[in-house]
Amino acid sequence: MSPIFLVGFRSWITKLSMNKKTVITGIGVVSPIGIGHQDFWKNLVSGNSGITPMESLDLSKYECKNGAEVKNLDPAEFLGRKGLRYLHKGTKFLASSIKLALDDANLNIDDEISSRTGILIGTSLGNFSQTTDYFHDIVREEPSELSPMQSYDVALNSSINYASVFFKIKGFARTISSGFTSGIDAIGNAHRLIQNGKADVIIAGGVEQISLDLYMIFLLRKMLSGSHGADSEISMPFDKRRNGFIMSEGSYVFVMEELDFALSRGAKVYGEVSGFGTIFAGNKKYDTGRRVEKAQSAMKACMDDANISLQDLDLIQANGNSGRLSDHIEAQAIFELFEKRGDEIPVCAVKSIVGECYGASGAMQTAATALAIQNSLIPPTINCEEKDPECNVNIIHQKQACKINTALVNSFDYTGNNSCLMVKKL
Amino acid sequence: MSKVVVTGLGLVLANGIGVKDAWEALIQGKDGSGEVTSFDTSPYKIHRACEVKDFKIDTTFENETPAHTIHKYAYSAAKEALEDSGLHNVAKYDCERFGIAIGTLAGELPPFEYLLRNSPDEKANGFDMNVALTYPPSSITSLLSEDFGFEGPNMVSLNACSSGNHAIAWAYDLLLNGKVDVMLVGGGELIPQTEFTHFHNLKALTPEKCRPFDKERKGLIIGEGAGIMVIENLDFAKKRGANIYAELKSYGMSCDGHHMTAPHPEGAGAIRSMMDALSVAQLSYKDIDYVNAHGTGTPLNDRMETMAIKSVFKERAKQIPVSSIKSMIGHTMGAASAIESVTSCLSIKNNIVPPTINYETPDPECDLDYVPNEGRELRVNCVLNNSFAFGGNNVTNIFSRL
Repeated sequence: MSPIFLVGFRSWITKLSMNKKTVITGIGVVSPIGIGHQDFWKNLVSGNSGITPMESLDLSKYECKNGAEVKNLDPAEFLGRKGLRYLHKGTKFLASSIKLALDDANLNIDDEISSRTGILIGTSLGNFSQTTDYFHDIVREEPSELSPMQSYDVALNSSINYASVFFKIKGFARTISSGFTSGIDAIGNAHRLIQNGKADVIIAGGVEQISLDLYMIFLLRKMLSGSHGADSEISMPFDKRRNGFIMSEGSYVFVMEELDFALSRGAKVYGEVSGFGTIFAGNKKYDTGRRVEKAQSAMKACMDDANISLQDLDLIQANGNSGRLSDHIEAQAIFELFEKRGDEIPVCAVKSIVGECYGASGAMQTAATALAIQNSLIPPTINCEEKDPECNVNIIHQKQACKINTALVNSFDYTGNNSCLMVKKL
Repeated sequence: MSKVVVTGLGLVLANGIGVKDAWEALIQGKDGSGEVTSFDTSPYKIHRACEVKDFKIDTTFENETPAHTIHKYAYSAAKEALEDSGLHNVAKYDCERFGIAIGTLAGELPPFEYLLRNSPDEKANGFDMNVALTYPPSSITSLLSEDFGFEGPNMVSLNACSSGNHAIAWAYDLLLNGKVDVMLVGGGELIPQTEFTHFHNLKALTPEKCRPFDKERKGLIIGEGAGIMVIENLDFAKKRGANIYAELKSYGMSCDGHHMTAPHPEGAGAIRSMMDALSVAQLSYKDIDYVNAHGTGTPLNDRMETMAIKSVFKERAKQIPVSSIKSMIGHTMGAASAIESVTSCLSIKNNIVPPTINYETPDPECDLDYVPNEGRELRVNCVLNNSFAFGGNNVTNIFSRL
């Protein structure tokens, strides 16, 4: 039988079976509260915040000082030493987290599966700050004398390119950028591709790094906690005193597999990704009421896609990033959508501990959700002490043992994207 | 099985603005290259690029920047495509089922470069509110969503030179899965000095004319522009009586997993990408009438692509016209494959294939029919459109007459 015939046959089979299931079999975390999902989870359930005065940027001239930086990452431990000096921070984060996820899934991307394996990463800015650093060198130096190796790792998606080459991924490589929802959009898209039979394995997630560029963008837009004057800088989602978010960074990736493929190799399964929904409501033409409606639309679309009713949902992994308006919109949307259960359904906001890592946030929340399902435990939302009547939802303040079968992950972007993902116990 | 069809097109190119002018220029082989005007090239050995000329826009945007933005090019092409498809007023439809996907390599880097040039001392001083509002890259699709009142899925595809085709592929899946009715898709790019320097220092830029597949080819010429199209579910298009250019049959993807900047020497990834597209479309290589090549004009790419085409098209390889419009409009990076998708549809509609210009000396290693220097009238039912990016990131799509 010719190989072409086999390929054709497989895609024909694929078209017949659109209802494949997607499962998470490996989690790789590089975060401000730990390298590896074990440390990440331990600190998350203990409520050990990763937020400190930032060391990687010189902020002496600016008002906001706090952030959640990744510390103690030794990329050589995961990637070896070769070529490491040409790589930038975000690339080291991503490649290290992929190694962690593959080890966790006990998966080796060998010749047999490499062309059925893809990589799909969400990032809001990727290696943007290194791109502008490189331009800054162009302005100050003789541009034609800059070494090509200086631009080796400076494209917005170069961390994904590097990872595809390093891990010999041959199915496809895709980078999605949709602002703060990039990570969740990548996971949602990976789910769709596995469902459609486009790949058996996808390395999916989000990566983001703290940089001066991002700091300046958020500072100018007055989105950071503390950028409104003398207020204290603290991440306190849904608290009455909240005044903006705290910047974070890291990389959170998953080995996502088609269920039968995972079972056939005896993989352990954290949970199933069973639905996704996304709706846009911009911040220019849309008033608060309309944005609340659209946030509900996105949650509803996701729950419909997963075929889960309002009564059956056990947990909401909230976007809640301590933003004045965004937390209000989210809480209002949850309260209205769930009707009688509006102020009962458990809501968890891990950004109180890890901060807002923009394009990687959705992936970070998904990691927290998969681990919560596995451990039957909801991590605490810290710093939420003064109840805000505008945020009338059931925030879980102390860690809480609880059987979780279905959890909704909310990821909302300030320019308008609202994306939601359903994670479910298999 | 539902189908995805193309119902509207829009172009902003270095050799013509608007589909009518741009297509006329392409089939007549008009070279869009010229001296770079948007920044000073005196520190470089190369001074030419394919810049969009005499671009005007009939709208003023909030937060105008002094430099051009992708948003302006994409807006202009998107407006043309929406008007062409008859969907310029979407308010009467369910807007949550209208989405946007745009590919770009560098996003709105040039406005930022413009500011940084004025503050070479300290980078942070280069920031102002205009930059804060044009970044992150996803601002392109958020702004377009607001401009046109779309409320469905939107994303920016950051996949270097195959960004446009990735965006189209992403949208195609959403349509096939019934999640949306209409998607505005494509790509937009400016010429950032950063990318110019990057290609320049990799010695990828040609010091003379860009001559893809020619024995004397010396590299690519960098370009800018936008190519946008409206794709929608066939039933939706029929119901509203839309004019249909072509069907988007399928896409194929692959990754070389080989090297950060060089393609796989035997084109293994390129072959997989084309084969994947053919098999999903349930087509044979015998069904393809024209290959819209990636054809950048670099020695490595064109040799690799030729080998890959020979491997896929076997005995027919030398009979199928293969051309590269990059010879005329330059390599528009993240926009390139989207622009080529638009011209693929125009080839089907008009039964004309645009030429590869500046072709003079045949290369024994590149011995296919590259449609040298003159456009060709030809019955075109089915087009295969290649895009191969740095990092070995390949996406091929196929358009056919409905």
